[in-house]
Amino acid sequence: MLLTLIRRELLDNLMTFRFAAAVFITLLLVVANTVVLLKDYEQRLTAYNTATQESHQRLRGQETYSYYIGKLVAHRAPNPLSIFNFGLDKRVGNKITVYHAFVPTIWDAEKHGADNPFLNLFTSIDIALVFQGILSLFALIFAYDALAGEREQGTLRLVLTHPIRRGDILFAKYISAMLCLLVPLLISLLLSIVLLTTSTTIFLSTNDFLRIGGIVLTSLLYVLLFYLIGLCISAMTRRTSTALMLCMFVWGFLVLVYPNMILTAVETTPQPEAYISDHQQIKQMWEEWESARKQFLRNDPVLGPLSRNGEGWGLKLKGVEYSFGPREDKPSILLYFYQTGFHAGKIGAESEPQVPLVQDYHGFYSRGTLNTVNRTWLVRKPALAAIYIQPANLGRTLLKFSPVGLYDAATEAWAGTDLAGIQDFFSAVQRYRRAVLDHFDDEKIFESRQWFAADHGTADWDALPQFSFQRSDIITNAKRALPDLFLLLLINLMLFTIIFLIFVRSEV
Amino acid sequence: MIWHITKREIYDNLNSLRFALTTVLLLALMVTNAVRHLREHPKQVQRYRDAVAESLNQLTTHAEESLYKLAQYGPGNFYKKPSPLHFCANGSEPILPDTIKVDDPIVFGTVGSSDSYEETVVLHGIWTLSYPDANLQNKDVGPDVSQVDWGFIIGYVLSLLALLFTFDALSGEREHGTLRLMLANSIPRHTVLIGKFLGALFSISIPFTLAVLVNLLLISTSSEVHLTTEAWGRLGIIFCLALLYTSLFLALGLLVSARVQRSAVSLMILLLTWVTFVAFMPSTLASIASSFSPAVSFDKYWKQRNPVQEDLWDKYGNRLWSEASDEETLRAKSGFYIDKVDNSERRSEARLRYRSSQVHRARAITSISPATLLQHLIEAFAGTGFERHLQFVENTQRYARQLREFVVDTDRGDPESLHIINVREGMSQKPISPAAVPKFEDTFDLSQDFNTRAMELLLLGLFVVVLLSGAYLAFVRVEV
Repeated sequence: MLLTLIRRELLDNLMTFRFAAAVFITLLLVVANTVVLLKDYEQRLTAYNTATQESHQRLRGQETYSYYIGKLVAHRAPNPLSIFNFGLDKRVGNKITVYHAFVPTIWDAEKHGADNPFLNLFTSIDIALVFQGILSLFALIFAYDALAGEREQGTLRLVLTHPIRRGDILFAKYISAMLCLLVPLLISLLLSIVLLTTSTTIFLSTNDFLRIGGIVLTSLLYVLLFYLIGLCISAMTRRTSTALMLCMFVWGFLVLVYPNMILTAVETTPQPEAYISDHQQIKQMWEEWESARKQFLRNDPVLGPLSRNGEGWGLKLKGVEYSFGPREDKPSILLYFYQTGFHAGKIGAESEPQVPLVQDYHGFYSRGTLNTVNRTWLVRKPALAAIYIQPANLGRTLLKFSPVGLYDAATEAWAGTDLAGIQDFFSAVQRYRRAVLDHFDDEKIFESRQWFAADHGTADWDALPQFSFQRSDIITNAKRALPDLFLLLLINLMLFTIIFLIFVRSEV
Repeated sequence: MIWHITKREIYDNLNSLRFALTTVLLLALMVTNAVRHLREHPKQVQRYRDAVAESLNQLTTHAEESLYKLAQYGPGNFYKKPSPLHFCANGSEPILPDTIKVDDPIVFGTVGSSDSYEETVVLHGIWTLSYPDANLQNKDVGPDVSQVDWGFIIGYVLSLLALLFTFDALSGEREHGTLRLMLANSIPRHTVLIGKFLGALFSISIPFTLAVLVNLLLISTSSEVHLTTEAWGRLGIIFCLALLYTSLFLALGLLVSARVQRSAVSLMILLLTWVTFVAFMPSTLASIASSFSPAVSFDKYWKQRNPVQEDLWDKYGNRLWSEASDEETLRAKSGFYIDKVDNSERRSEARLRYRSSQVHRARAITSISPATLLQHLIEAFAGTGFERHLQFVENTQRYARQLREFVVDTDRGDPESLHIINVREGMSQKPISPAAVPKFEDTFDLSQDFNTRAMELLLLGLFVVVLLSGAYLAFVRVEV
């Protein structure tokens, strides 16, 4: 009997104008957007490749080790699944300098600079957004007359004259709606995957297909949730036109109004001004270390006395070609560091006895610097989390009161473009920095002559550990998506129960 | 007769559920908007004032020291004045930079011998304008949503509500049979149509006007936000724009409603049209349009820039590093500084122009969607957004020229000076009164906005007329 009911519902739905419209519009939007997104991805990938090559060459062009800031750079490849949900993939910087004087974080990253940042004025649409807007609308359109319509036409009374349980009717409607809504979802996804596979730049692994499967599952639960909302309204109202209008109001509120309104009302923009004292503290640690360093130089009978500004550029070595002092002071991201160094092409013979002293000095300088970095990191890490991560998490949590927020969070997690996924990359960069520093330590590079001079052999960049980053495995993605997925499922069950209760008690 | 039908429509609507929901929704949105503005705007203004005061301070210090210092260090950074109508359209302000930097002069020096650390020749250089990239300061990792401003409320919410008010205007009456009854009287069809249109327009204007009034009341009662007469004029224009835009969707609703037999189908068609034209098309078209022209990567930009810079060094050559301070050397240095600044400013301006032409192209194409048209118009009248940013850039460029001319003119007035600008030895060393130095003021005026936006305004009006006449034609030919 249940099968008959499902078949009837299915046939009823499939032969309608709205089904045709749903399939057609979803297909149109998804395919059009996939083409655009694919092109965008290809551009980002090209930008990534050129940037990687350029920084590779720039590093190799460096004869001494010390001036490697801005040349040893880790680049973040665009995530192919960002086509499904951009998340933070496009917004967060994709080029991060690896340097011993600071710990790299998301906020230190920059963009390759290949794109026109003003184009961010236009919101870009990913596939999740299309589903989020359009499929939820269709779910409501399928649902609004499911009960109210049958009641109006009197067919509901007819059906109930048979010995059929009311729960079965609801269940049949639920299942057939699921099947009907799966059609546009799957067809459009299939077409977009076909488009993706024809592209030569994009490679989807088995895991990626599983992730896409996760996105499909999430989309299905999300769409069914809206179907149940529609069904709930339909069970409560007498007239279809009222039901339809209410559905539209609910849709407008949940999809359009609530997410924007709640984040306008609640303050979730980062407030770095509140942590300016932490920045001062960090700055002070560096200044203490600077004065300790200058003290060291001043006390040294050979390297001191210093020049009038106390810098000691070049430490009086003959043959110094240029000196540099990389410095950053960004209160908004609590970044502060200060380094000095110089480059000598060929050290003059008369300075030769001085060289071991300079090498010792650099050993001392790097140890002290690393020590300072570690100390400042203890202040900087929690402060950054408080400035940026806490409000972001608050915003995301607030959004989850609408199914839209749940859906967005879950698909982001599947695609690996959520905050956790992006942070994976930066943790990898932090590990890489550690590896580079270990390498410097093992090979005594800080104390080596190649650190500042290019006459006795030049820097060997090929011996440096290579940076590589693998996106997290599917299990991690699933773990991150699961809470939201579970919530979606729970709301589904809850709504179904509510509708059942309303429907069982309502008079036909 | 028209008035009669209008009145009936309004009474019908006033008692309906949708009217109540609309009122609540619009009120909630407008109150949120006002609260946000009251919280954010004073902070913004304060930040702007502090920043401007600091710039002015720098200018004063330099001017009091000497004319040369002023010529060397310039006026301090420029800041974009926050618009008091920021709540109407936030114009993607978080993405756009609000500063134009005045870069400090780059100093080149040679060290004579390694023991002395005394610099023998120092090239001082002069200040340069540089245009910061968009979005560099924005480190937010929170969810990406659009702010609830008037643009959002009118563009998205009000248009959707307009459709909900008209989808059953004709098809609903046909379903109920009342349309036939009405047309049995000697009422011409266009009267019915216009009556319906006006009725819907009035009934949607009531909650909207109410919400707008509450919003403005909240904003204007605060002591920290001041709206000038001009601002009120702009608000009036924006309100009229909102009504024009709403009429567009009402006309669309009537058109579809006249053609379609069942009101449910009519709503479905309308919603799909809305989703396509308002929600998706602007972004998709913008992406397509912006991918037409290739982006210039930063490295490429540097590669183009460096040879020119090297040419400059070659051109002035050895004369620069000469220790002599005869007139010829000084002139060479002055020429070098001016050329260098000119060059780098021209390059960054060209880069900005290339990028903004890309944006303009994308904007032109997205103008097919009435929602984008409206957004551009509101941004223009609220004094925010991309066009405003370009205006700000233009203002600073004009001021930079003015200041440089001022320096030359003042120097001419000093008989002791050699009149070789931008070189210490060749210029007036006298302090100048800070009051005499021109100050930067960021301005925007209404008449200019009106002229540049006339085209878009006309286009929007045209949309309304076309849709209304379409609705008329459809309704006249349809059988009841």
